[in-house]
Amino acid sequence: MAEESARPQGSRGLLWTSVTVVYAAVVLFPIFWMASMMVKPNEAMFARPTAWFFTPTLEHFDYVLAQGFHWSLLTSFVLCTLSTALVVVIGTPAAYAFARFEMKLKDDMFLFILGTRMAPPVCLVIPFYFIFARLNLLDTFLGLTLAYMTFNLSFYIWVLRSFCRDLPVELEEAAALEGWSRAQVFRRVVFPLLRNGIVATAVLCFIFAWNEFLFAFMLGGKAVQTLPVSIPKLITSQGVRWGEMAVVGMTALLPVLAVVFVLQRHIVRGLTLGAVKG
Amino acid sequence: MASAGETMAPGGPARALPRERFWYPYLLIAPSMITLTVVSLIPFIYTVYLSFHAAKFGRVTDFIGFDNYAQLLTDTRFWNSIGVAATFVFIAVPIEFMLGLAGALVLNQNVRGRAVLIPLLFMPTMMAPIVVGLLWKIMLAGSWGFLSYNVLERFNLIEGTSVFASPDLALYALIFVDIWQWTPFMMLAFFAGLQALPLGPYRAAAVDGANPLQMFFHITLPMLTPLLVVIGLLRFIDAFKVFDTVYILTGGGPGTSTETPSILANKMTFEFWNIGEASALAVLVWLAFFAFCNVFYQIAKKRLNAF
Repeated sequence: MAEESARPQGSRGLLWTSVTVVYAAVVLFPIFWMASMMVKPNEAMFARPTAWFFTPTLEHFDYVLAQGFHWSLLTSFVLCTLSTALVVVIGTPAAYAFARFEMKLKDDMFLFILGTRMAPPVCLVIPFYFIFARLNLLDTFLGLTLAYMTFNLSFYIWVLRSFCRDLPVELEEAAALEGWSRAQVFRRVVFPLLRNGIVATAVLCFIFAWNEFLFAFMLGGKAVQTLPVSIPKLITSQGVRWGEMAVVGMTALLPVLAVVFVLQRHIVRGLTLGAVKG
Repeated sequence: MASAGETMAPGGPARALPRERFWYPYLLIAPSMITLTVVSLIPFIYTVYLSFHAAKFGRVTDFIGFDNYAQLLTDTRFWNSIGVAATFVFIAVPIEFMLGLAGALVLNQNVRGRAVLIPLLFMPTMMAPIVVGLLWKIMLAGSWGFLSYNVLERFNLIEGTSVFASPDLALYALIFVDIWQWTPFMMLAFFAGLQALPLGPYRAAAVDGANPLQMFFHITLPMLTPLLVVIGLLRFIDAFKVFDTVYILTGGGPGTSTETPSILANKMTFEFWNIGEASALAVLVWLAFFAFCNVFYQIAKKRLNAF
């Protein structure tokens, strides 16, 4: 808002708006195209030249339901909720402590957390596979929840700490002068102010878990098959089920669409691990 | 906040609060640190252990010292994967960077409807990478994909087959997909940076009659540089990790033309079951990432005053 007063106004605004709208339309076209494939009959799908008009069909939905893909949807939902809830419960005190207290080796511990976040998933999936095989954790919710901790718990602590640091410490000091205990200060002063940050960070964790592929693919199985994992399964030996993949892909996309509208500015902060305040 | 900083006692900023027992903060971080040790440090140590042992087909046998590393470093496939990743990163990231910066400058003009445009532009970055791969598999599929038919074939770039099946073009197609996926992120991160710049210098420059180009090079760019460095570095680190999109689009093929270290490590483990060598590769990648991550932390802390 503020920068507008320093820059030229008027008809140029329309020009730049059009440029942005055109750019967004081009970038988002593949998503629109995939959405149309959900109801596209196979003849129209493989048509050359490209068929723009066709009679919609629901056959792809029928196949997807017949194959039990709604169970993958449920699995994804349960797994992501479970792992996000766990992250919030154990990560919130840690984020607060890292923002407010001095500790020995704080910098090193913090770097260890960042390192965990940044480690390539493939480096983790190799040891996980063999450790989980021994502990009978392959193809279980517990195993995947643990695996998701690597990127989500570290992410959550890192980003929520940046939200904690934005809170004025004076409020907590004032509350403490009233004779409140640490726990009371946290519950009555810090938590209400931090709630938005907690929700935003937790929702991002949910989405990262929702989108995760490699761990779910290698460490899950028949019992725990998430939505992303079910997509490559539609590349069968009898050919690729394009329309069905579009249905599953769009289903996986819907929560993301909701989240980008709700979170808006917090996404930049999350994706840059708190380095940029959106 | 500044005054709190000046008078900060060794006890930390919360000094007016009731004095804590020294173990209190450690109690708060203990559950997280224990969890992260279990899920991250122990797997790392186990990988190091595996990398020093002869381990094939799931059976760990003798301690063999650095043999796995020696074998890996003389493997042409390993060096190929480094080359593929380097090509991928060094082409994709600079393009994403330039396009992102240009886009951020456009968005920073008085564009209307940002409340709708910004969330929509986040879609490619926020959606599952596997779905990104699926989208482009559809757009560039065989002879009927929207772009294969309407663009690639029209300009005689490729005919009758998917661009992902071409040893010469597959890597560039993957780079294109990465640019599609990540340019919006760069753009919106840079835009957030632009929005946070103070107005004072612009007003002063306007009084002095500076033109927009001068303002960009003498005000915007210098003030934005720390942010550009940090975001660029973060993207650079992330781009090296690319797995999901490559996995679904090419699986590392055709041949080894798009085989990144991540794809190679995965294949070595779960296809060749050559676990010792795969672990050696994972350890090297891991150490490289830890070094990157340290650089990112130091730079972000110093130059951006973040964290």
